Amino acid sequence: MNPNTKRSIGGKLLLAATAIFFYLPIVYIIVFSFNDSRSLTKFGGFSLRWYEKMFTDSTMMEAVVYTVIIALLATVISTVVGTLAAIGMSRSRKALKNVVEQINNLPIMNPEIVTAIGLLMFFSALGMEKGFLTLLLAHVMFCTPYVILSVSPKLRSLDPNLADAALDLGATPIQALTKVIVPQIMPGIISGALIAFTMSFDDFIISYFVTGNGVQNISILVYTMSKRVNPSINALSSLVIVLITAALILVNVLPVLREKSRQKREEVQSHINSHKKAALLLAGLVVIAGAGLFALRGNAPISAVDKYGSDTMKLYIPGEYMSEELIPSFEEEFGVDVIAEYFDSNEMMYTKIQAGDSYDVIVPSDYMIERMMAEDMLQELDLDKIPNIEMLTDEVKNLPYDPYNTYSVPYFWGSVGIVYNHNNVDPQDVEEQGFEVLRNTKYRGKLYIYDSERDSFMMALKALGYSMNTDNEAEIQDAYEWLLQMNNTMAPAYVTDEVIDGMINGNKDIAVVYSGDATYILDENEEMSFWMPLEGTNLWSDAMIIPKNAANPLLAQEFINYVLSYEAAKGNSEYVGYTSPNSQVLQELSSGDGMYSENEAYLPRSGYPHDEVFRDNPVMKKMLAELWLKVKAAN
Amino acid sequence: MRQFRNMIYPYVAWLAVMVVVPMLMILLYAFTTEGNDVTTFRFTLDNFARFVSDAVFLDVLKRSLLIAVFTTLVCVLLGYPIAYTIATGPERSSFFWIMLVTLPTWINMLVRTYAWVGILQDDGLINSALGLIGIGPFNMMHTTFAVVLGMVYNFIPFMILQIHSSLAKMDKSLLEAASDLGANRIQSFLHVTLPLSLPGVLSGITLVFLPAVSSFFIPKLLGGGQYVLIGNVIETQFLTSGDWNFGSAISLIMALIIMVSMYITRKVDTDPESGGRR
Amino acid sequence: MEKKLIQFKNIVKSFEDGKIVLKGINLDIYENEFVTLLGPSGCGKTTLLRILGGFLSQDQGQLLFDGEEISNIPPYKREINTVFQKYALFPHMNVYDNIAFGLKLKKEPKDIIEQKVKRMLKLVNLEDYANRSVTALSGGQQQRIAIARALVNEPSVLLLDEPLGALDLKLRKEMQQELKKIQQEVGITFIYVTHDQEEALTMSDKIVVMKDGEIQQIGTPTDIYNEPVNAYVANFIGESNIIEGVMVDDYKVAFEGKKFACVDYGFDKNEVVDVVIRPEDLDIVPPGEGKLKGVVKSVLFKGVHYETMVETKVGTEITVKMQVSDDRPVYNESANEKMSANDFYLDMNDVDELDDATIIARADAQAWNPDEDELISIKEVQHNIQKANGTYPVKFSTAAGTSVTVNMIVKDENSVTSEENEEEIFAVNFYKKVDEIQESIALDTDLKTWANASAWSLEDSTAVEITDVKYQFDPEKITPGTYDVTFATKGYQYKIDTTDKYEVDDVVGLMFQPEDIHIMSKSEF
Repeated sequence: MNPNTKRSIGGKLLLAATAIFFYLPIVYIIVFSFNDSRSLTKFGGFSLRWYEKMFTDSTMMEAVVYTVIIALLATVISTVVGTLAAIGMSRSRKALKNVVEQINNLPIMNPEIVTAIGLLMFFSALGMEKGFLTLLLAHVMFCTPYVILSVSPKLRSLDPNLADAALDLGATPIQALTKVIVPQIMPGIISGALIAFTMSFDDFIISYFVTGNGVQNISILVYTMSKRVNPSINALSSLVIVLITAALILVNVLPVLREKSRQKREEVQSHINSHKKAALLLAGLVVIAGAGLFALRGNAPISAVDKYGSDTMKLYIPGEYMSEELIPSFEEEFGVDVIAEYFDSNEMMYTKIQAGDSYDVIVPSDYMIERMMAEDMLQELDLDKIPNIEMLTDEVKNLPYDPYNTYSVPYFWGSVGIVYNHNNVDPQDVEEQGFEVLRNTKYRGKLYIYDSERDSFMMALKALGYSMNTDNEAEIQDAYEWLLQMNNTMAPAYVTDEVIDGMINGNKDIAVVYSGDATYILDENEEMSFWMPLEGTNLWSDAMIIPKNAANPLLAQEFINYVLSYEAAKGNSEYVGYTSPNSQVLQELSSGDGMYSENEAYLPRSGYPHDEVFRDNPVMKKMLAELWLKVKAAN
Repeated sequence: MRQFRNMIYPYVAWLAVMVVVPMLMILLYAFTTEGNDVTTFRFTLDNFARFVSDAVFLDVLKRSLLIAVFTTLVCVLLGYPIAYTIATGPERSSFFWIMLVTLPTWINMLVRTYAWVGILQDDGLINSALGLIGIGPFNMMHTTFAVVLGMVYNFIPFMILQIHSSLAKMDKSLLEAASDLGANRIQSFLHVTLPLSLPGVLSGITLVFLPAVSSFFIPKLLGGGQYVLIGNVIETQFLTSGDWNFGSAISLIMALIIMVSMYITRKVDTDPESGGRR
Repeated sequence: MEKKLIQFKNIVKSFEDGKIVLKGINLDIYENEFVTLLGPSGCGKTTLLRILGGFLSQDQGQLLFDGEEISNIPPYKREINTVFQKYALFPHMNVYDNIAFGLKLKKEPKDIIEQKVKRMLKLVNLEDYANRSVTALSGGQQQRIAIARALVNEPSVLLLDEPLGALDLKLRKEMQQELKKIQQEVGITFIYVTHDQEEALTMSDKIVVMKDGEIQQIGTPTDIYNEPVNAYVANFIGESNIIEGVMVDDYKVAFEGKKFACVDYGFDKNEVVDVVIRPEDLDIVPPGEGKLKGVVKSVLFKGVHYETMVETKVGTEITVKMQVSDDRPVYNESANEKMSANDFYLDMNDVDELDDATIIARADAQAWNPDEDELISIKEVQHNIQKANGTYPVKFSTAAGTSVTVNMIVKDENSVTSEENEEEIFAVNFYKKVDEIQESIALDTDLKTWANASAWSLEDSTAVEITDVKYQFDPEKITPGTYDVTFATKGYQYKIDTTDKYEVDDVVGLMFQPEDIHIMSKSEF
């Protein structure tokens, strides 16, 4: 173009706006990583607490280590494989070359989600346990084509006689390759490796589908944690941003500096050339990464192994559903490691277990436990090993889905109700209309609806006066119409855990929430009130179970017992805000000068005839899932 | 040089196993039913019938395509002037700006998208700023605006880089020639710069449209649960409902639509009528 | 031809990096002229053209077109069109659309456009190419399209920026004629930029020779060729023999130690001048009959004539002694190693920078396994050299303990200085073995290396090439003894175009007439 023209004022403004657009979110992340408060929108003073928290959070640190290891390994492997394949390709017959090129382009031209599901099905067909290996294979699979694309042009512009000349001068084919061809195409290899590294480092979609067993990268961590504000994500992201920026500057500035210093010491000959240095550096990084991986698996006190057969236990639990102290104090007391993984929904958990992932303790909801029991996926508990079961409050003992607590021990329990801002919403409207208030156009645009087919249909069915466990198609159709009408007239926001922060910040006026979340919301925002509709609602409990394929049931039972103990249960309930199954804790927190004595959401009502517990009904469940998707999609 | 020929075969095997077989599995699942077990497969077109016979799914597809087209359009309309401004400036500053545009793409997409949540919220940065001058607050989260913004934010660098590279490699004497032959700046742009940068625009369109149509975390993070796009439906089928057959069928439909639209794009690119390039 | 169409008045232009590319150009261009701006790359000729085209603006000075200042008029409003260096054809348009581009912008009626384009295509002999893609054309065809595209706008001036640079020789010659023909046909001013003097001479009405942002000479091709104002122009316009001389008096110039009659006058008495004699003006005659005498150094066949180089005066010479011995290598039986090395001379000045590798090379020290004939590396070099004339032993040894001791002879004066040539040449005596001389595959180069021969200019210490290595022995049949080897730089050589073929080393005379001598003031470059 024309390098001599100065930019116009309009051009300068445009570029300035571009810079702001690109960097505003990045600066925002960095600023809020130093925020003393939990909020993503209000800056409450400077603090390093989220950095501290990040470094002590083993899940986060593991995700970082896995991300780096996978990225390094995938880069090294795909660079070597891709370079060799590209060289082979450049010498192949045209027909074969064309076919390979076409297939090589598939992962690049296909939407990532398609590649992801293909790999997911492929790995599960092979019966491979999802985890480190599947993640690595997948990353190598999508990185290699980029290396080939970056190396091939260099090979095309290479003098085809070069290798012949080397062979003619007495080089073996390997020498011709390493001493002549590879140095010639080095720029292509390096840029290919850089692309591979960033592709792997940043990948989310494919990783999200193919990994499991506690192996997760930063992207997956961010995705599963992002529903509930966790400023440690900001701290982690800031760290990643600083590292990447530093690396980029280094990559761009280093060659310049090196050139300068080379010119200075013209005579002093460096015996190790730069390629070797790079190789050494890379090898060093791989070793460090390997050591990190080893360290993740290491430190095993012998006593735990003797007692339980293993010193690690894998926990699978919804995100932000456990006190931060619980796992560390359990680990310390019993000298074991707990690997915690988080799920979004019972269904996501179920799919993973079905796909063969193995955990020791899982915390699903009532109906899901019923299904897993029916499908023989759970182990019977040895109640002698869980003496603390005595401490359960009566309301959660022997619930209909597991009448003798053969398979499950309640973790939290509660109901579902309406949280509303009593300054903006007439309490009378809520109390008189119950769930029907969600269709009161006075409050259009002011509601959060929980994004789950069960809870949505529950409120619709209750509002219509039906049983929430109905399998009457006409009733379900009515409920569908009810929801559809709400969807079309009320402009609701469908959210999951974001509802908590949304209501605390007063973003909306009405929300349907779980009583435990309501407890927390009411605690944080005094303008909020809680109401349990008179049409009845869902009484639920989430319980701890041990799946059939658990690797370490003995330790799992020890853990369940520990969770029920007074200390652990109290800390847990105080932290999360959900109703404790431990009768003593429940009593203490809800009465007198207990933490939740003033909080109408903490203690669920009991014995109310219209309230129900969810039963599992897979046929209906699938139908509801599809109907719910249609409700959401209909706008 | 024949001796290096054999180095291709391991990769051929790898491609066959890691790329072709998974693709075939999608095909297989899409046309079968009854569970996820090889022994109980039964061939059927039900999965496709279920998709096309349901107005809601077609609506979702339509919405996904519309959002992707709209995002792509915004990316072209914003990306072109940006790329043009960068390309026409002094060389060193062009290098700087290209670095500036590239840098964010190296930082995790989710992380960057997540940051917009705080910025767009009802009490977020933008509304606070607007509040200072007495307007708003505007509801931006969970709207089409937020979703398109998230997509544009994530994908516009690809557009800018593509257009910039086609502008940068353009021979500047062509512009002088146009000016010499009597074209003023606007005419030079319309008759020379624009047609010559079209290939860059087209490959930019591909690079934006492709991820936009299949994205599922941007609508989920910024659009909320009501923002159902085709990617979300596929995710739900695989990770929530566990209906791999239906999920495969939807993926196949989506992949097909993308392939067709890319084919058309390429056709436009090589169409002699549109430029006379070979 | 008498109307001034374009006037450059004191045009100054410098680039961003501060380099001044045009140092005050004054130039008038008349109607219907074919003007060539001639000069090497970087002389500012293209910059001047681009200022006229409107793609650059000058820092100072005026640019008048038809008497009016046009500096602030953008290119698209000037009645000037340009044929660009690499044509700058629009790749996204076909031939027709490229040519019609300017007319369409002027919104001329379609039928008129078609007529004009057709006429242009005919003018450039490409009638059938209207619908071709320009990228599918050959270089010559693209060139013609570029010309047609510019001419169709009926400019009063056509600027051509090295338009033939990308074409091969044959095509270039054809296009030169065609361009001239076109210019005569359309009857407008052509301003042509080139660095090819032949092109300039063939086509131009007027040549402007430029160097370093300044005009050296303006004139017709014959003026420029026959009466170049300085050695630079003379040399640039055609390779010439340029000799330094002294103007003894009007019509009398002295060079090569002799006085010659010439037709030039008006110089200061004893002014140092450049004497130019064109190759075609020199004749070779028998040695006794010429005005100068010399030896034929090389003969190159140039198609219609021979380009014969005659050296009238040798360069700077130095002769050194080569001591040839037939010493046998040392043989270390226990290690099965053989080893050899020579004594060697060393210049005092080199003592400071002496390292082992240099010593090994100068002594030609080698160790090898006689069975496999493989070289073995020399692990140790022991010596005790001082910076004083004398003989110092050097011991070379291998890891296996095989060793050889030779002498390193330090001498301080090994050079010959020629004040006349302003050169110094250096070489040292050296020792060699019979078989090394016999086995040498590039003896001249090896001799230079062994004698450490080099030469440099006294003026600025730049290296001067040693062109001659002279010796009397037959390398194939050499026997032990002492031989002279002479190294010499290039002397005065004349280039002569002859029709007869002479043999190298022929002794010949050179003949020329007074009017063949062109005297020029010393250019300041």
